Amino acid sequence: MAAPALEVAAPPAPARRLTAVETRPRILLTTEGTYPYALGGVSSWCDLLLRGLTEFDWTVLPIIAPHGREPLYQLPAHAREAGPVEVWSETVPRGRRRRGMRPALPGVLVRGLLGWNGDPEAVLEEWLWCRRNPAGVRRVFRSGAGWAAFLDGLAEVLGERVAEAGTPPQLDAVEAATLYHTLYWIARTAAVPTPPADVLHVTAAGWSAIPALVHKALHGTPMVLTEHGVYLREAYLAAARGGGPAGSRFAATRLARGLARAAYSGADVICPVTDANAYWELSLGIDPAKILVLYNGLRQPEPPVPPPGRGVVVSVGRIDPLKDIHTLLRVAAETLRVVPGARFEHYGSVTEGEEAYERSCLALHAQLQLGDRFRFMGRTTDPNGVVRSADVMLMTSISEGLPMSVLEAMSQGRPIVATGVGGVPDVVKGCGALAAPGDDHSLAMGVVMLLRNPDLAWRLGLRGHQRLGRLFNEDACVEGYRSLLHGLAHGRASLRVVAG
Amino acid sequence: MSPDVLRAGLLVEARLGRAPQDALEAAVVLEAWAGVPAQQALETARALMSGQPAAPATSRAAPAAPSRPPRQLLEGFSFVVAVAAIALWAAPLAAVLGAGVVRDALILALPVTLGLQWGMVARHLGRPSGLAGLAEQRNTLALTAAALLFAAAVLGLTGALAALLIVTWTAGTVVIRRGWAVAYCAVVAGAVPAMLLGIPAPALVAGVAAVTAALAWWALATVPTAASRPGRWSRTLAAGLTGVGLGVLLVSDPTVDWADGAAPALALLPSALGALWAGRHLWSLAGAFPRALAGFPACAARDAVPRSVALGPARVLAGAAWRLTALTAVGSVALLPWLGTDLTGVLVGYGLIALATMLIGIMDALGRPSLGVAAVAASVACALAVRALDPAVAGAVLACGGAVAVLLLLPAALVLLARPARTLATSVWIT
Repeated sequence: MAAPALEVAAPPAPARRLTAVETRPRILLTTEGTYPYALGGVSSWCDLLLRGLTEFDWTVLPIIAPHGREPLYQLPAHAREAGPVEVWSETVPRGRRRRGMRPALPGVLVRGLLGWNGDPEAVLEEWLWCRRNPAGVRRVFRSGAGWAAFLDGLAEVLGERVAEAGTPPQLDAVEAATLYHTLYWIARTAAVPTPPADVLHVTAAGWSAIPALVHKALHGTPMVLTEHGVYLREAYLAAARGGGPAGSRFAATRLARGLARAAYSGADVICPVTDANAYWELSLGIDPAKILVLYNGLRQPEPPVPPPGRGVVVSVGRIDPLKDIHTLLRVAAETLRVVPGARFEHYGSVTEGEEAYERSCLALHAQLQLGDRFRFMGRTTDPNGVVRSADVMLMTSISEGLPMSVLEAMSQGRPIVATGVGGVPDVVKGCGALAAPGDDHSLAMGVVMLLRNPDLAWRLGLRGHQRLGRLFNEDACVEGYRSLLHGLAHGRASLRVVAG
Repeated sequence: MSPDVLRAGLLVEARLGRAPQDALEAAVVLEAWAGVPAQQALETARALMSGQPAAPATSRAAPAAPSRPPRQLLEGFSFVVAVAAIALWAAPLAAVLGAGVVRDALILALPVTLGLQWGMVARHLGRPSGLAGLAEQRNTLALTAAALLFAAAVLGLTGALAALLIVTWTAGTVVIRRGWAVAYCAVVAGAVPAMLLGIPAPALVAGVAAVTAALAWWALATVPTAASRPGRWSRTLAAGLTGVGLGVLLVSDPTVDWADGAAPALALLPSALGALWAGRHLWSLAGAFPRALAGFPACAARDAVPRSVALGPARVLAGAAWRLTALTAVGSVALLPWLGTDLTGVLVGYGLIALATMLIGIMDALGRPSLGVAAVAASVACALAVRALDPAVAGAVLACGGAVAVLLLLPAALVLLARPARTLATSVWIT
């Protein structure tokens, strides 16, 4: 799909407008479970942007679960952290207690966020009330009237019959209480104060959009949404493989859909990192004119060195079901049957909350009798170095945007064997082998082919290196955002001056 | 429906082991596990869901398996040994310092200690990795203890003795929580024979306080570091006030002379042991709500729930109350030959206070700690009013105070337990 043109260029500005913009535009970057508290592709991209766009003053507002740990990234001098917003914590909302309750709040939220045709505007109106009455949120949700309104709204949602939406299951009281608790934290997130900003930059179409949407509704600030994976798609994947009861699955996916719809409807510009993700965004009925594909990128690499030729296959990624480590292990087992001298190294730590999945991976590793021939190496701080030491890069994810690990392999001139998910086919075109997700046989054959044909592997690696420099380089990525953010900041400044 | 769509439907069902929830789920499966490009997957999935809507499936949450309560046997045993040993300190201390000093010191020390203990539990010790959180505050704790001793010295012998007891008991809580209950027992119980051998009791109490404080410091210094989140200050304050209130209640009865031998402290043992047993049973209360409500339709949760559902959590309360009452009664009867029938009222009073304490704990677990604070305040007011009447019956003040708290809290607890869905949603999970 061709990226639609986006008209964000600022109009010719009189001196007064220029003054407003020249006072360094302020960007509020909202993140969800990523930067600066977790490692990964999204965090790397955030860090790249903050360090690359020094002409902006950045404020990072992370939304995280309470874990008491320190940030993993040090923010540059022109950036500061606000918050973090700790959801599921024991904190009580601060703020003046005002008279008057809004017992309908939980009911409106459940209708607006979980209803198949829920109204994002109604949700936004409730979030605005939360922002103006932070202390009232807790009072409403602890009241019997709030619970009753929620149950009424839930009954309406469960009674919906839309062909595309399937038939909602009958949630039990525990699932309903869990959903009620989640909506409470969504309302609390909406109540969080946000610092002044000229542009809002949201990093996922989920929780991190909530404070930005409220800020935009209050101040008219333009909002950019960058999606690396597709939030909605990943929520469905998590629910599908989770195997939980129908009610929990329904609540989790519908909530993700409601948040994504709200985020898409509020965003002025939506930036997927690959064209493939745009289809998912369009499936929720957003205006195609809002979409601007901006690829991830890496620093222009040095000329690559030839692979070491030791039969080393490297994979980089969190130990997470989305990365399908089980398939990775089976690919290794099948490859080793044909190329016994091959060695597999997986770099990446376990995602928080996926410890059971890690145990299942270790059990499969033992069952396949891989021993030292497949090693879990833990987290790496030198991804380029580990890729350079490889002969082939392997990736078995079932969901991706534009994975940094693939770009890193290309930057080092290494061929890639990967699943064709998300933006991977667009990137790997002509510089590796692709297979369907979960197809361990095809993936293994790809690895075997490259290990047995080092000349071919080197040629594909060189092609990838050239392709990276041409299409997926860091400068292009940073420049794309520079242009976009400047354009929006100028537009915003104009609006502010006119309003003033 | 075209053959391609039918085939896609079979593929989706085979992967999920059931029909897809909606078009988006079907699209995700087609894309992620069948390699169908996104646009085609979304279109196929929409076509797949165009049939007649199915009947709604009934869902049932899978409540977490009940967790095992923490080890309490050793803690309970060490509590018994510590109470008995400290009870035996009273006479030797009174012989040296005078009964009035010991009495006043205990009256001062008990409420302060209980306040500190309840506050520490709410802020740190009752929480995951709570010891690690408290360890970060150990310098503050040491300074507070030193300031307490210094300030108490201004009050003379009474203040100094009270401060030593407060340090011993409070530090003891940390040591026991660290799992070093045996060491704490050894220190406290070891002082008794030394006192009986003629070593000055005040010096021994000072020594025990110093050793226990050092043990607590060492316990905190060696605890493995872990990320921990302290409890809210408002909850800490409420817990602290509750502890102080209960302490005041315990020492408010003029017929109970804490300096007159070991009897008052020993009389406390049956109800304290009963409370420990009941507390262990109550560990399952939070899990009783989801277990009772799993499978119960959400949309029916607004109306009165069937008795079978409401009885789940209420049964836990009844089981805890039965354990507390039974053990208190049996223990009290067993102690009567030693204590004398004059102390029957005291034993009843302690039992009622233990029951009230249990109900306060339930209120806290159900997210309504302010009700506990209010009940304790009313209970203390009642006890002081009865005390002003100078009742002739031993233990009347204790019994009246305890009874007021029980009468206030029991109906509130029953109301909360009788509407489990609302309580779970609005109180237990939203604190």
